[in-house]
Amino acid sequence: MSQSQIAVDLILQKITEQTEKAKSRVEKASEVLLSPLKTDLATTPFEYVYEEDRVRLKYYKPEQKKHKIPLLLIYALINRETMLDLQPGRSVVQTFLDQGIDVYKIDWGYPTRKDKYITIDDHVNWYIDNIVDFIRNRHDLPKINIMGICMGGAFSVMYSCLHPGKVKNLVTTVTPTNFDTDKGLLHIWMKNSHAFELGDTYGNMPGDLMNLGFLLLNPARLILDKYVGFFENMDNKDFVENFVRMEKWIFDSPDVPAATFQQFITDCYQKNLLIQSKLELGGKRVELKNLTMPLLNIYGQYDHLVPPQACELLTKHVGSKDTEDICLKTGHIGIYVSSKCQALFAPKVAAWLKEREGEDKADHSSRTGSSKSVSAPGTDSGKKADETGARKTGAKKTVAAKKTAAAKKTAAAKKTAAAKKKTAVKKKKTPGRKV
Amino acid sequence: MTEKKKNEAGAELLFADWMKSVTDFWGEMVKTEGGIPDIFGLPSSVKPKGIRQTQKSWETGSKIFQAVFSSFSSPENMEAFFKGTDTLPDFFTSVQRQAWDGIFDLQKKWMERMARIGQETKAYNFEDIDQETFKTLRKIYENEFRKFLHIPTLGLNRFQQERMNNLIDRYAIFRTSVSELLYMFYVPIEKTGAVVQEQIEEMAEKGELFTDFKDYYNMWIRILEGHYMTLLQSSEYTEVMDNAIQANVDYVKAKEAVMYDQLQKLPIPTNKDMDELCKDVYLLKKKVRELTKKLEGATE
Repeated sequence: MSQSQIAVDLILQKITEQTEKAKSRVEKASEVLLSPLKTDLATTPFEYVYEEDRVRLKYYKPEQKKHKIPLLLIYALINRETMLDLQPGRSVVQTFLDQGIDVYKIDWGYPTRKDKYITIDDHVNWYIDNIVDFIRNRHDLPKINIMGICMGGAFSVMYSCLHPGKVKNLVTTVTPTNFDTDKGLLHIWMKNSHAFELGDTYGNMPGDLMNLGFLLLNPARLILDKYVGFFENMDNKDFVENFVRMEKWIFDSPDVPAATFQQFITDCYQKNLLIQSKLELGGKRVELKNLTMPLLNIYGQYDHLVPPQACELLTKHVGSKDTEDICLKTGHIGIYVSSKCQALFAPKVAAWLKEREGEDKADHSSRTGSSKSVSAPGTDSGKKADETGARKTGAKKTVAAKKTAAAKKTAAAKKTAAAKKKTAVKKKKTPGRKV
Repeated sequence: MTEKKKNEAGAELLFADWMKSVTDFWGEMVKTEGGIPDIFGLPSSVKPKGIRQTQKSWETGSKIFQAVFSSFSSPENMEAFFKGTDTLPDFFTSVQRQAWDGIFDLQKKWMERMARIGQETKAYNFEDIDQETFKTLRKIYENEFRKFLHIPTLGLNRFQQERMNNLIDRYAIFRTSVSELLYMFYVPIEKTGAVVQEQIEEMAEKGELFTDFKDYYNMWIRILEGHYMTLLQSSEYTEVMDNAIQANVDYVKAKEAVMYDQLQKLPIPTNKDMDELCKDVYLLKKKVRELTKKLEGATE
């Protein structure tokens, strides 16, 4: 009689062990789930300093100010900006504060039916412009720094092209600008879809419907496996708190104003007008050549919503000669919330901004050959690249920071003084309400 | 055939008798001053004008009714009437046949599908997705049933009726489209089950079975994810998804139109009213912004 090839005894033993583990896990889980859980989002202290219609501006004050120029964070209209301040220890906002930056963040609020006619033009040339003016007035500065996230990044690009005189440095993160790619499912689906009609049909594009669409991008993982993972770890309090916090954020989805949604789908996803400099807002063409300020473009290698192909063309089309691409080995959200990227992403942005603090437009536009392209972290040499997790490709890079510090300081101080005199920040009244 | 004629002759006689009694009854009713009770007990000459007019209308109506009914009694009309009733069963048979044809067709497609279940499953391949069932279902609806909802509506409420018919029509299409979309999401699960089964068989033959159940789950979820990734990028899926979106848009719009009919009778603003108002406010705000900018520019 031949010996059985299948280890039945081992299988049975494993099943017994797992049943015992599951029983003990369920017992512990009930204790965890019934105990008080810390699942609050966005706990970093802030104050609302400006509001207009549904839009409000959050201000985060650093304990010790080390940057002269404040940073405005422009989040997408999809989901909430609370993701940038998810929890202590995983907060992009907190990292910026630790670096001594004055941080402003636009809270787009929850659009209602009355907002259905609000277009991209209104968001960019009205709300963002008024907020930028408000911050410029508040800090008595001609220009401020802007960092855009996803759709908010696309808005930032549009704004910087139309108002280059008000933007000192631009950082785009997971920002789609080239929509003509078949690498992301959203790009494939939206190409010939009538989804743009949904906004007008429902008043605004319902956030829940969009969320359903996002879940369907990977049903096996997002609808099934994720919750299996939760079941397996529900006796771990930290895990449960993080999981619930993320669930809260994911399903906190404001509707998107119908007109904006429709325009974003047709002009961007279907006609790909932005990267071709053919997009028009308020009768004005969004020319990427007008984007002359330093540009840092960061995106995720495994981003299934905005793949690298949708992001990486931007730096090749803008007028600025000081550009940098960084491709991090992470996904769409991982850039902001994964602990690995936390250590790389925000400090890198802060350092990049600090390097360019003293220079004005004339300075950086005169720089030649300062564009650089870097890729996934930890894959190549270069001390600085290793620190930021970036790999230098070395093709066309001249790092501005290597200029002698003394010369830079003097020149910058002179230029800033001159620029200040010239522009003498017009104290413009902003139509919104100072809070 | 002779039997049928005999039956018809019997029915005709019976119908003629019934017709005569009905006509006589209404004749008598008209004579009793239109069947209207004389509550005032007044002679007809001094009755109020309104009552006299009502009586006149009643007489006219009854006479028309009598005339129509008497004409039915004539042998030639009687024959035509029975011909008409003869066609009724034909009508029902025809409708029934159309419905059954559709169902048989559908059943045939399902049988074909069932027969294919035992065939080999190709992993990460969606060329053989069985959409025919849904196409057939939609075709049956569109060819055989939809036309009933598009019969021209008449009269005062024709527009309301038309909108209601449109809602029923759009709902039916929406349901079909959603079913097709849901079916598409089920296909990878079915395929994954088959692929996993094959792999387990292979592993069992080699004596390399996992001892941990989690490993089977990981294998299953990995294959399922792969199947979904292939499916979701396919043009077949994109088409079905877009059909469902369009059907949803049409259905919601049709529902809004019917809701509007109902709500406008109540003192409640409808979505349409609010949208118009919001648009006015939006345009006004925009105008004020432009003027403010111009004013600021002028004062500077």
